[in-house]
Amino acid sequence: MTQITKDSVARVITFLEENKNRGGDVSLTDVMHLAEVMSGSMHDFLSNVQPAVTEELKAIAREITSMKEEISNLRANDMTASRIPDAGRELDAIVEATEDATNTIMEAAEEIMGADPDDHAAYQELVSGKMIEIFEACTFQDITGQRISKVVSTLNFIDERVSNFVERLRIPEELEAEIEETAEDVRKREQILHGPQHAGEGVSQNDVDDLMNDQSDIDKLFD
Amino acid sequence: MALDLQMPVLVVDDYKTMIRIIRNLLKQLGFEDIDDAADGTEALEKMKQRKYGLVISDWNMEPMTGYELLKQVRADADLSKTPFIMVTAESKTENVIAAKKAGVSNYIVKPFNAQTLKGKIEAVFDS
Repeated sequence: MTQITKDSVARVITFLEENKNRGGDVSLTDVMHLAEVMSGSMHDFLSNVQPAVTEELKAIAREITSMKEEISNLRANDMTASRIPDAGRELDAIVEATEDATNTIMEAAEEIMGADPDDHAAYQELVSGKMIEIFEACTFQDITGQRISKVVSTLNFIDERVSNFVERLRIPEELEAEIEETAEDVRKREQILHGPQHAGEGVSQNDVDDLMNDQSDIDKLFD
Repeated sequence: MALDLQMPVLVVDDYKTMIRIIRNLLKQLGFEDIDDAADGTEALEKMKQRKYGLVISDWNMEPMTGYELLKQVRADADLSKTPFIMVTAESKTENVIAAKKAGVSNYIVKPFNAQTLKGKIEAVFDS
């Protein structure tokens, strides 16, 4: 690395020694002279250092440009303004559709349960009608399946872009900020709230069956 | 303790549909006096006003969970003997052990069927 030369330093020292006994008697011309001597001493140093500094600054600029490109590829505005709210609306619609279907099915079942079976003809007609209502209500499954696919697609979109971004940032794991436990986290820990458990990663009838099988394991704890 | 179909039963769940399902199953089993609450806080208030013969509670509710309700019921001298069945999707061993330590009478994992509910209720009153 380029250093200030001894000659440059010597010129500054000579100037200071020549003027050290002047006390407060310093004119603007003296100050200008000192500045001239000092800038002269720095000239060689700066002229050598400048290209290296310029290269560093250019490298930083390139990194910033690249980062801006990565951030742009994240399409954060698209995520927050469109995709995430859309996914939320899809989930709301799923909850609503399943709730409506459940209510329709339960109302039909309750009407059958409350009907008088002694009047065979009327009872048969009622059961047939309610069965049709139950079948109709079950059509929600097709639509909710499609809605779930859209939500999964959004999650994949976010996952892909965030993963790429993290990879390009090259942030070592040990530098990641520690996750602070929120009040909700504390509640979940203290109240032992894990939510439904699945044997696999996806929700399937086998998962439901596995949960049902868990019942026997629980029974053993009470034996 | 004998099973009495006339006894009042309190069903605690924050999901109205689940209350409706359990209520219908209990009716099918012959229970007639069925009350409900949307969380532990409401359940505790109802339990202090009326003596229930059986409590069937979900675990995950807000603000008071079924687990907290169970602990408070067992800590209350007037309520501590009330049979308490947990019906929940919380199916980790940790949950079952914690509920057992807190004094739960029996534990049913959702989803469940009428036969399981019937069997657990009978087991509580046979013991």
